[in-house]
Amino acid sequence: MNWTEIMNFSRGPLLQVSMMIFIVGMTYRLVRVILLGWERDRVKNKGSKLWGVILNYLKGLLVLPFIPWVRRTFRNNELTFIAGGLFHLSLFLILAFGTAHVLVWKSLCGFGWKSLPTPVLAFFSSVGIISMIVLLINRLTHPVLKLLTKLPVWINWLLVFLPMITGFIMARHLWFRYEVIFSLHLISVSLLLIWIPLSRVSHFLFYFFSKTIHGAQAGKRAVMP
Amino acid sequence: MKTQSAINTYLKETGGWVASQLEACTRCGICAEACHFYQALGNPEYAPIWKLEPLRRAYEQRFTVAGKLKLALGLEKKITDKDLEHWSKIVYEACTVCNKCAHVCPMGIQLGPLIHDVRAGMAAAGVVPGDLAEATEKQKTIGSPLGVTDEMWRERIDWITEEWEAEIPVDKAGAETLVAFSSIELMKFPDNLAAIAKILNKAGENWTVSSTGREVVNFGYFEADEELTKLFMYRVFKAAEELGVKKIIISECGHAYEAFRWTAPNIMKVPRGVEILHISEYIHELWKTGRIKIKEGAFDGQTITFHDSCKIQRRGGIIKQLRELLHVLAPKSFKEMIPNKEQSMCCGGGGGVISIKEADANRYAVFQMKLEQLRDIQAEAVCMVCSNCRLQFVDSLAHFNSTVKVHGLSELVSKALV
Repeated sequence: MNWTEIMNFSRGPLLQVSMMIFIVGMTYRLVRVILLGWERDRVKNKGSKLWGVILNYLKGLLVLPFIPWVRRTFRNNELTFIAGGLFHLSLFLILAFGTAHVLVWKSLCGFGWKSLPTPVLAFFSSVGIISMIVLLINRLTHPVLKLLTKLPVWINWLLVFLPMITGFIMARHLWFRYEVIFSLHLISVSLLLIWIPLSRVSHFLFYFFSKTIHGAQAGKRAVMP
Repeated sequence: MKTQSAINTYLKETGGWVASQLEACTRCGICAEACHFYQALGNPEYAPIWKLEPLRRAYEQRFTVAGKLKLALGLEKKITDKDLEHWSKIVYEACTVCNKCAHVCPMGIQLGPLIHDVRAGMAAAGVVPGDLAEATEKQKTIGSPLGVTDEMWRERIDWITEEWEAEIPVDKAGAETLVAFSSIELMKFPDNLAAIAKILNKAGENWTVSSTGREVVNFGYFEADEELTKLFMYRVFKAAEELGVKKIIISECGHAYEAFRWTAPNIMKVPRGVEILHISEYIHELWKTGRIKIKEGAFDGQTITFHDSCKIQRRGGIIKQLRELLHVLAPKSFKEMIPNKEQSMCCGGGGGVISIKEADANRYAVFQMKLEQLRDIQAEAVCMVCSNCRLQFVDSLAHFNSTVKVHGLSELVSKALV
């Protein structure tokens, strides 16, 4: 098998199968959690649950990851917090507005949008990669993280990092032949897609549960989330 | 055997609410930075998320593919009796269920309530620190965790009535308001109990205490034993129904307020149309509606600060009202500690921790951080609205030879009444 064949295989059957696994797996996990049942909250509210939820999302998306100093609690690990925030921001920008990704979205949705200028993309993909490395170093050295991090978490890091670094190399046309790096990128993306339903990388889905719960809890008690 | 009853409790408690939050965790460890026990003692096992390990393992191994895979591959083990004993010390002696971690978690996971669930498993398995279990047993059999009998209670109420010249109506038929005090106030802070009585009398409140529903503290709730939690609240609710009151006022106890106000309707039958209020919000209401008047600046002079209690402020939302009161009591001398309000740091004695002798070292270590916060603003006095916090402050300030004075907010208000 030569690289052209590998490329065709990885962007064809491999990607399709891993996307299927991803969708079926995540649906299963979502349904599984929802079916565990939800109890009605009979407690009388003091404040507005909805307002609490709205405030919580706004703060969580716009303020806390980028300005951790608003909470004194973060004075011991501002770097982790900012690295986490920048990583997610970069990931979103590259996935949604990367030149090649826009084409993928267009073929999937039938309509597209403009990609970001190349220098901006280069900047944010570098920021994303650097953040990942900062987070890795933190995970290797922080006593709590050493305790919490078992094998699956290391795999999470690796499988998220591989598509990022291969994508970066491909977009900058560095070192590798196009077929080679494109194949590697797609293989790593496929591996990640298969891994997500089995791991905590799936947190992007359950984020909406816990974030809503926290906002509602704060709102009903009339405290700032 | 022990372990199985803990696991059963965990599985019973794991609905979508618990599961979705356990699934949301990314193992980022940021919650550790919020935990005063971790901050003070540096033990990574005190990270709030690590306290959920027994619950997480029970859930994953029963309900998730990944959990079953990890078990099959030997990456993770089943929970053992030894694990329970290990985590019992962590969740009871190094956690006050203050829930500050939830405010720090980027995912918003409600770590406090989930740690409460972990405790529930420990309670079911009978793996609870001896001192805590003993106090709970006393509350079950005698009616008070401090062992105050009916007779002692009556004598004490009579004594307070005489000593402070504060009339305290007992079992008054036709009263509108039932005030439920805690044994701590009765035995250790009678001045605060008298202060509350004076404020209510001054406002012309038609109130009473009950000889059957006389204990507001809930050691079942500290242990997280749901049956006992219900029993202890039932005693107060039953008294309220018999007296036909319209309001139950929870006196200065944070966990009691949490249990009565935010938990009871979800776990038991509560009397219909009976409002549950914390004494501090009620005092504010009395002042706001002009039923009591407070002398402005009565406590100006020495720098005074306010300690936010986890269950009354961060979890109870009674925040702004009390600042309004404080700005009247000491407009010039009132100074906020940093951090404060929702972000304030727990005193270290809540959640039953102060009743466990073995946790004393933890409790003092945590209090040192509070002491620094007091020093930073050069506070000469501190007031609060939870007698459990107050006990921790009085005990720990003495332990560290500090001269900072401790007051109940009700006590200050009663002294400033005009």
